[in-house]
Amino acid sequence: MPILPRQNPSQGQLNEGKTSSSRSSWRAAPYLFILPYMLFFVIFRLGPSLAGLGIAFTNWAAVGTPKWVGLGNFEAMVRDPLLKDAVLNTILFTALTVPLLIGLGLGLALFMNQPYRGRELGRVAVFTPFVVMSTVVGVLWTWLLEKDFGLINVTFGLDIPWLVSKDYAMLAIVMTTVWWTVGYNMVLFLAGLQDIPRELYEAARIDGAGRFQLLRRITLPLLAPTMFLVLMLTIINTFQVFDQVFVMTSGGPGTSTLTLVQYVYTTAFQFRKFGYGSAVAVLLFAILVLLALIQTRAYRRGLEGVTE
Amino acid sequence: MRTQGSLLRFVWYIALVIIVILALAPLIWMISTSLKPETQITTTEIRWIPETITLENFQAVLDHHAMLRWTMNSLIVAVTATALVLVLDSLAGYALARMHFLGRDLLFLLILSMLFVPIQITVVPLFLLFSKMGLTDSHVALIWPVGATVTGVFLMRQFFLSVPTELEDAARVDGANDLRIWWSVVLPLARPALTAVAIITFLSTWNSFFWPLIVTRSDAVRTLPVGIAQFMSLRPGMAQAAQAYGQSMAGAVIAALPPVIVFFVLQRHFIEGISMTGLKG
Repeated sequence: MPILPRQNPSQGQLNEGKTSSSRSSWRAAPYLFILPYMLFFVIFRLGPSLAGLGIAFTNWAAVGTPKWVGLGNFEAMVRDPLLKDAVLNTILFTALTVPLLIGLGLGLALFMNQPYRGRELGRVAVFTPFVVMSTVVGVLWTWLLEKDFGLINVTFGLDIPWLVSKDYAMLAIVMTTVWWTVGYNMVLFLAGLQDIPRELYEAARIDGAGRFQLLRRITLPLLAPTMFLVLMLTIINTFQVFDQVFVMTSGGPGTSTLTLVQYVYTTAFQFRKFGYGSAVAVLLFAILVLLALIQTRAYRRGLEGVTE
Repeated sequence: MRTQGSLLRFVWYIALVIIVILALAPLIWMISTSLKPETQITTTEIRWIPETITLENFQAVLDHHAMLRWTMNSLIVAVTATALVLVLDSLAGYALARMHFLGRDLLFLLILSMLFVPIQITVVPLFLLFSKMGLTDSHVALIWPVGATVTGVFLMRQFFLSVPTELEDAARVDGANDLRIWWSVVLPLARPALTAVAIITFLSTWNSFFWPLIVTRSDAVRTLPVGIAQFMSLRPGMAQAAQAYGQSMAGAVIAALPPVIVFFVLQRHFIEGISMTGLKG
């Protein structure tokens, strides 16, 4: 799972760079310091990103030369029922998973932030699943969700064919994902909670604020930047869901768990349609940028609301 | 909490116990299943401690799958990639934070802009690049792209911004050159940031699945996540699927336990590393 750092463009961090060397004379050292990284960056990140964007406008099977088709792939996407399923499934997965990951992550963080003995154990326990690799999680949950002998059905007396039924497969993936990653969000929220100055609580308590008021008036508003970051990370990650799906259902049954990244993988590397696969990846990119823009706007507006 | 007394505390601990159970039960069940003989796995009776404990599943996995080879491959890739990232990112992060040069801010923006470009866009060109070089299905193809990640550079830069300049200035007065200052003054100071970057890089490379799935083909190169995914080539609902669960769980235990144990030992660093990457950056 990609892990992104916080970036807060409004703080103007770009200009903060202090220099301890002379400003006037040209020196080679900075360039030599940054050159090794830039080589890797250009060859393995920037270059391939631009190339991928270009390939999206071609028809390119694994053999032969790419043929420029302009927006052809994107026009084809409009009429592609599988792509439609992949987009809708991805949105459904995100819509089901993100509120759980945010709500439970925040709830767990608030719980584990209280002063009581044993909370360290709680934190470690909740975070532990995140340390397990995604495909192991997939294999494990395939067993837990097995219809006849799986722990979940047996424990709760259910008879649900989780992974082989179109109605339940997506839900199964959601459950697996929440169990696996909620600890990560909890840790991010905990870090945010610990940044809130204690004095604020003490002052408010002296003014007679109750527990709920403290939460509503201090904790949640001051947690807004963390919330924004966690929401961004969570949405970006859920939109790129792949590993669990690949292991547990490979997109099935039917197309019920086919997601965008699964579709990129299938078209580009199983059907060898490099052009079309890249076009689907570009669509994913466009969605992510759009979501980031919406979130940034909402965040700004939210912050204005708080400061008023 | 003090005023409401022991009842609230009681409820509180019940909640804690339930949370811990929900978080850990699947992992304990995985270990339990892996130690059961096949006949005791496919049963509707829940037994957390196996009636008979056997290592036959582990034996079978090690016999039939290149489990150890995959683990070695994962280790080689994750360790090398982490070392590579630490060197590249601490050099670049230092330059971006502390040195003044033409185009610095633009360069930093360019690097950051890649945060939004999903790796799925890059996989086709990367695959073609490595196949042109005849390097698909090689460790190199797994390691090199990791060297170009953005997070580490960002973290290192943010850290260097927060370190006071006095020590560097003193070293410079003493006649140390940039490389010397970076190595003997800056890097020792940066240990917390380096630890965070190392943990993040190691964990994400160790867990990485999408790219290794695409670029590896043989057991000699295949990493653990891709190898483990092979266990599930038997789909649920298929006739023999249930028979594979004992071995699947044994394989899962072998793959899951080392990182989990390391995590329990180093959990403070892990959690600090994560919260630092996520927030303190």
